[in-house]
Amino acid sequence: MNKAVTKEEKAMRRHMGLRATRAISNTVIHILLIVISIVWLIPFIFITLQSFRIENAMPVGYVIPHQWGIDNYINLFKSDFPKWYLNTFIVAVVTALIQTIIVLCMSYTLSRFRFKMRKPLMRFMLILGMFPGMLTMIILYRVLADIGLTQANAVPGLILVYVASSGMGYYVSKGFFDTIPKSLDEAARVDGASRAQVLTRIILPLSKPIVIYTILTAFMAPWGDFVFARYVSFGTSSGMNVAVGMYNWLNNDMITTRYTMFCAGGVIVAIPVAILFMCLQKYYVEGVTGGAVKG
Amino acid sequence: MASVKLTKVKKIYDNKVVAVHDFDLEIKDKEFVVFVGPSGCGKSTTLRMIAGLEDISEGTIEIDGVVVNDLQPKDRDIAMVFQNYALYPHMTVYDNIAFSLRLQKVPEDVIYEKVTNAAQILGITDYLLRKPRALSGGQRQRVAIGRAMVRNSKVFLMDEPLSNLDAKLRNQMRAEIILLRQKLDTTFVYVTHDQTEAMTLGDRIVIMKDGYIMQVGTPTEVFEMPANLFVAEFIGAPKMNIMKTTLTKEGDKYYVNPFGVKIEVDGEKGAALASRGISGCDVTLGVRPEHITLAKEGGIPCTLEVNEMMGSELHLHVFTEDGTRIIVRVPTIGLEASEREALVAGQKVNITFSGKVMHFFDPKTEENLLCDKKPDDEDIGQE
Repeated sequence: MNKAVTKEEKAMRRHMGLRATRAISNTVIHILLIVISIVWLIPFIFITLQSFRIENAMPVGYVIPHQWGIDNYINLFKSDFPKWYLNTFIVAVVTALIQTIIVLCMSYTLSRFRFKMRKPLMRFMLILGMFPGMLTMIILYRVLADIGLTQANAVPGLILVYVASSGMGYYVSKGFFDTIPKSLDEAARVDGASRAQVLTRIILPLSKPIVIYTILTAFMAPWGDFVFARYVSFGTSSGMNVAVGMYNWLNNDMITTRYTMFCAGGVIVAIPVAILFMCLQKYYVEGVTGGAVKG
Repeated sequence: MASVKLTKVKKIYDNKVVAVHDFDLEIKDKEFVVFVGPSGCGKSTTLRMIAGLEDISEGTIEIDGVVVNDLQPKDRDIAMVFQNYALYPHMTVYDNIAFSLRLQKVPEDVIYEKVTNAAQILGITDYLLRKPRALSGGQRQRVAIGRAMVRNSKVFLMDEPLSNLDAKLRNQMRAEIILLRQKLDTTFVYVTHDQTEAMTLGDRIVIMKDGYIMQVGTPTEVFEMPANLFVAEFIGAPKMNIMKTTLTKEGDKYYVNPFGVKIEVDGEKGAALASRGISGCDVTLGVRPEHITLAKEGGIPCTLEVNEMMGSELHLHVFTEDGTRIIVRVPTIGLEASEREALVAGQKVNITFSGKVMHFFDPKTEENLLCDKKPDDEDIGQE
């Protein structure tokens, strides 16, 4: 009898020990995550606070403004900023739209159709994607300059460049489409649907997370692009996007008068992306993991 | 409603594998034809070629007299029920059934009438607003059938529609398909690997193996006169018992000698053998388990190995002195309780069968010696 009790006690102690270990490891993990979050958030908090500082416009060594106000935001909208913002918005929205359509069609084709050279094509695109995009910059600039899509006409030029290689981003969505049973396509085709109707009425409604993931990634790249946008606009203010335009404010001769405006611009640029992510976060996470895990 | 005619249809896959060889068949208007065979025999491929979901490598398929080889599935006027139901998960049952009608731009009130009517026939009215994931397997299968029903297509194709259901539900749905067929009165092509489904549903059965048609016939024909050993063993459960023996002729009478026991061949069968000029030869003898009886005296001495109690009958697995395994179906109704209890493993039993129920196959070609009909001779389009 005594022996049995001892056994029970041992099991209980072991159980309590395991619980304690788990609680400790959970606490450590959470503390670590909180610290990482704070480190992650510091630049955002800093830039937001600086955007409301009105005692002077130059970079300073403190974080909390001495005088608060929205003058920086008012001045921002009196500058070229709205034009750059519009440029960026147009480029990002149009690119997102076209790129999403191309990526989804491409993914559906590679997932469902069996044609000669399908696999070599996929391998070729994989290898092509390994080269850094920067390599093509000079020749792309040359081509765009020749057809008059640089400087003041940078917006259509940028859209063209961003959209041109979009078919190569098919991996994630193809992986997701591969997990949708082919018999659904077949049932729909027997029911009288064309291939296009199968895609729009069956596959896409079932792939919401991946569609949203595709839209978001397609929107984000041009929204935050700097290098190529700077090349294509080449010093012409009306062709610049926000990143390029605002970068000029950090020049030695402008930084003392524009630094806080730069911070205000940074906040405005982050707002639509933050809203988008907050609304679509659920789908985005599903999209990122969905294609990979199921594929 | 329409006829379907397959002429020399062949399917060769990209890896040069030939899945279907020279498939010739005419399915008459309103006929219920079942393709049956083991996995990989080409039955589903053939059905998918009729549906337009697989390209036809050679030959032609006609639906209602029109060659449909190059037509898209949507233009063939067919309806199909898939093995895994293939319901659209993001749509309600109503929308699933209405999908094809909406594509045809049928007015909503007509759609409503058709969908509710189909739902009523299939007993799924209460589930119309549910999504497929909230349905059981049987209910999903009904929805899949409903989706095909509302189309009023010329041909109704079914690809192993019951194989995902449990045994009880399968029996129930099988009966419902028979009723459905009576209501729809259209041409059915049904694929299954289950010979019971084939026998109970089909007006004619097409038995396939390795892409070839082994036999086409009514359930009675294929059961009573299997064209070859494969059909003989495939149709009927438990499968036909096969024994190596010798056929001898003494005067007008024929005898077989399985396991050293001389059994006289029935007069009618003997006459048929005589008319084919067969006098004596080695044969593969086939006898169905239900045609073998336990003999009180004489017969073939065997040892009982397994006794399966199936309710209305016993399946006795016995082996002869030379180790050949034989299955015997014994109705329980004719057995005394003491007799039944005596049938335990290791028990010596004697079995016998009548000369009327024997099937004779050529040991080399495996063709039925008494069957004139070969698949190639199947008269297309004739009763």
